[in-house]
Amino acid sequence: MIEKTSPEVGGMGHSIKRKEDSRFIQGKGNYVDDVRLPGMVYGHMVRSPYAHARLKSINTEKAKQLPGVLAIITGEDLARAGLAWMPTLFFDKQMVLATGKVLFQSQEVAFVVAEDQYTAADAAELVEVEYEELPVLVDPHKATAPDAPILREDRDQKSNHIFHWEVGDKSATEKAFQSAPVKASVHAVSPRCHPAPLETCGCVADFNKATEKLTVYLTSQAPHAHRTLFALVGGIPEQNIRVVSPDIGGGFGNKVPIYPGYVCAVVASLTLGVPVKWIETRSENLQSTGFARDYHMTAEIAADQSGKVKALRVKTLADHGAFNAAAQPTKFPAGLFSVCTGSYDFPSAFVEVDGVYTNKAPGGIAYRCSFRITEAVYLIERSMDVLASQLKIDPAELRRRNFIQPQQFPYKTPLGWTYDSGQYEGALNKALDMIGYQQLRKEQEERRKKGELMGIGISSFTEAVGAGPAHTFDIAGIKMFDSAEIRIHPTGKAICRMGTKSQGQGHETTYAQIVAQELGIPASDVVVEEGDTDTAPYGLGTYASRSTPTSGAATAVAARKIRDKAKKIAAHLLECSEADLEWQTGKFFVKGSPSKAKTIQEIAFAAYTNIPAGLEAGLEAVDYYDPPNLTFPFGTYICVLDIDKGTGEVKVRRFVAVDDCGNVINPMIVEGQIHGGLTEGFAIAFMQLIDYDESGNVQGGSFMDYLIPTAVETPHWETGSTCTPSPHHPFGAKGVGESPNVGSPAAFVNAVVDALSHLGVEHIDMPITPWKVWNVLKEKGVVN
Amino acid sequence: MAIRIEKTFEVQQPVALVWSFLSDPRKVVTCVPGARITEQVDERNYKGSISVKVGPSVTDYNGEVQIVRSDPQNYEIEMLGKGLDIRGRGSASMKMSGKLKALDEGRTEVTSVSELNVVGILAQMGARVITEVSNIMFGEFTKNLEKRLAAPPDPPDKATEAASKALNAGSLAWEAAKGIFRRES
Repeated sequence: MIEKTSPEVGGMGHSIKRKEDSRFIQGKGNYVDDVRLPGMVYGHMVRSPYAHARLKSINTEKAKQLPGVLAIITGEDLARAGLAWMPTLFFDKQMVLATGKVLFQSQEVAFVVAEDQYTAADAAELVEVEYEELPVLVDPHKATAPDAPILREDRDQKSNHIFHWEVGDKSATEKAFQSAPVKASVHAVSPRCHPAPLETCGCVADFNKATEKLTVYLTSQAPHAHRTLFALVGGIPEQNIRVVSPDIGGGFGNKVPIYPGYVCAVVASLTLGVPVKWIETRSENLQSTGFARDYHMTAEIAADQSGKVKALRVKTLADHGAFNAAAQPTKFPAGLFSVCTGSYDFPSAFVEVDGVYTNKAPGGIAYRCSFRITEAVYLIERSMDVLASQLKIDPAELRRRNFIQPQQFPYKTPLGWTYDSGQYEGALNKALDMIGYQQLRKEQEERRKKGELMGIGISSFTEAVGAGPAHTFDIAGIKMFDSAEIRIHPTGKAICRMGTKSQGQGHETTYAQIVAQELGIPASDVVVEEGDTDTAPYGLGTYASRSTPTSGAATAVAARKIRDKAKKIAAHLLECSEADLEWQTGKFFVKGSPSKAKTIQEIAFAAYTNIPAGLEAGLEAVDYYDPPNLTFPFGTYICVLDIDKGTGEVKVRRFVAVDDCGNVINPMIVEGQIHGGLTEGFAIAFMQLIDYDESGNVQGGSFMDYLIPTAVETPHWETGSTCTPSPHHPFGAKGVGESPNVGSPAAFVNAVVDALSHLGVEHIDMPITPWKVWNVLKEKGVVN
Repeated sequence: MAIRIEKTFEVQQPVALVWSFLSDPRKVVTCVPGARITEQVDERNYKGSISVKVGPSVTDYNGEVQIVRSDPQNYEIEMLGKGLDIRGRGSASMKMSGKLKALDEGRTEVTSVSELNVVGILAQMGARVITEVSNIMFGEFTKNLEKRLAAPPDPPDKATEAASKALNAGSLAWEAAKGIFRRES
């Protein structure tokens, strides 16, 4: 365990209040849309109403005549500059503005720039675009049918198939299936959903013709990576590009990709020489920016009669939309989906994933998860319940029989991952105790006799977070290390600059607490800055729960470098040898005489005023941390719910979440993260779907149809924890932001299926709306 | 978004009169809220427009109406309408087949089957809204039809103007909402 500092220092384990909140709760945050520059003009996107159509002509004359309109950019204009297409983050390219044809509804067709945003929007309506409608492909299962329209005429490969990926030992898995007495299978869809951050995407591009410097204020989760991509794709020298991510109102993976609007705003600013602002509307965000999931999965488990698992076989169809704009490491076309053996000791496994194009918005981003882990965890946790139900073994007991045991760590999975540490049964037992599992099962039995529908669902998930290591993980070729730079001022206060970028995670507080823990400088004396590529050290940004595992680690390592130098200065000040010194939070003292001590503040002052001979002045350090492995947080979630037979409405009665994310920096922030993630998981399980009709019209493209849970719908969350530190992380932390989103959908769905299992229901796909449940009840004769 | 709408209703007029009205797109259009014929191309082809307001969204379609089949002996007609949103936000098409049946006391039964396909921004409203809006428009249509058949012939311009006023935005959205709740309750 980590030794706790005093509350005044506010090191790790203290629930100190979030430093950033004082400006947020006063409405003093500074988001991209708050940026107002002199002479700034506004962009608005013209979008395609069709999901698949040939572009016959674009007439901008009427729009240009509207007073206040400054420029209209079309795909043909961009093509002349070689910018009509841009690379995605995953070996594909995407149209910035359409040329030739459009491939999804709401695709970007032209960019109108005007003196104010209202004129820009009005002018966009005056742009006349002539389309010729083409056959639409919506169903991914039909993508490779012989009569399917070929969507991507730009590709050499005249097929809608993008990739086939497989991992694991196929023959060992087949063999295990041949000899297994028990086989269970489930077809589960992880439906297309959207992170829907409160703040939509947008930017202000400001090209200064005199200095030739381009500043882009951007809703970016990865400002440095975006700067490099602007340089590589746009040909602007990287030293002349400054990307600033100011306060970000939620990202959840949605703000990792580069979107056409950003590129258009930059092109417009380069052309006009004035700052250009472009901010998406809510519908534009839902309809055109990175969606998540859309994985159509089949899992089969081979087991023996006692429920001991022998092998896992998974076949998945991935719908990527019109362009493969998945944001994930280049070695992994299906991200970390292969962690789908979960918390269980599978001797063998084999996974296949096929990606296809359809006439839908591009994406496949990691919505609050490390690259497809939510899909993987949902699948294995659903499958374990199907197996339990088939064998009539209690789902908690089945999990217990198959957990990877504590002594097996570091544990190598049959699909190639090495889990760092885990105590899965501990988390399960704690959750079962908290919820009173045995009592609930009895209650369920009694209620069933009365014809009432009550369900209990368990999910014992294992997450994989914190990418790098750099030898395996990259984004568009840039390795996934991350960084921290700490400078101690002469008065003993500090500033940290980071390669990550908070979107609400509380970095200004948690990184300061790491410094407080390592150096004894009160967290209140430490300022944390992120998001300005001119000042922050290079980093890959924040997603995949990677900030604590990477930049958090870098902060600790940089602080330890500072402590090493501080020791030299302390020895100089105390006129002793370094070997005689001992560290106690915030000070070095001479062994055996605690009164002979120098505080870190005194040492810092000396670093600028009384420097030992042969030592550099100043007290600062930078660290680029490349983690040796991912970290693997885990936990058990249990949901109890009741179903209203008359309406099909599902009412979550209780939800217990026991998380183990290793050593905790700020318990209050962890709890907040878990509450937020569970609420998102709840919405995904019960409310949210980006659907398309057969013509490719988006159904779910506004908050009228894409529902966000409010305090009214959201259940009460009960949280608990166990602590199994990561053995390889400098302070044993694992990352936690995504666990609740990754782990909870299966708990909700398992609970619903459990409530209906005695009626013969084996599976229901998300979102589980009252309408869907009511229809199941009708089908099973429970209601008329 | 494909929607199929089947309607059967009665008109208190003899079948020959109803046929002479319903087989003429210029007359039919006077009963369709927000619609007008702008040009007759030939005997079977017409050009026209229709304005549909759903809540804050107004969609104006310009397009064509074609009489695909007309069978005066059996009182059967098939029409095809296609329109493009004049602001480039989508398209709509409708295939409608109608059949008249003479009833006693000089009444007529009208049966129609319409297949409506909407593509674009309006279609994002979803089938539940579009179907309700279609139902409301159909209701207006039958009301207007009854009135027009009963009334002495108006000068065509005045009639077109009166009937072609697009349905009020607020009331249409509200009617659609009520329709949804009615259906699901």
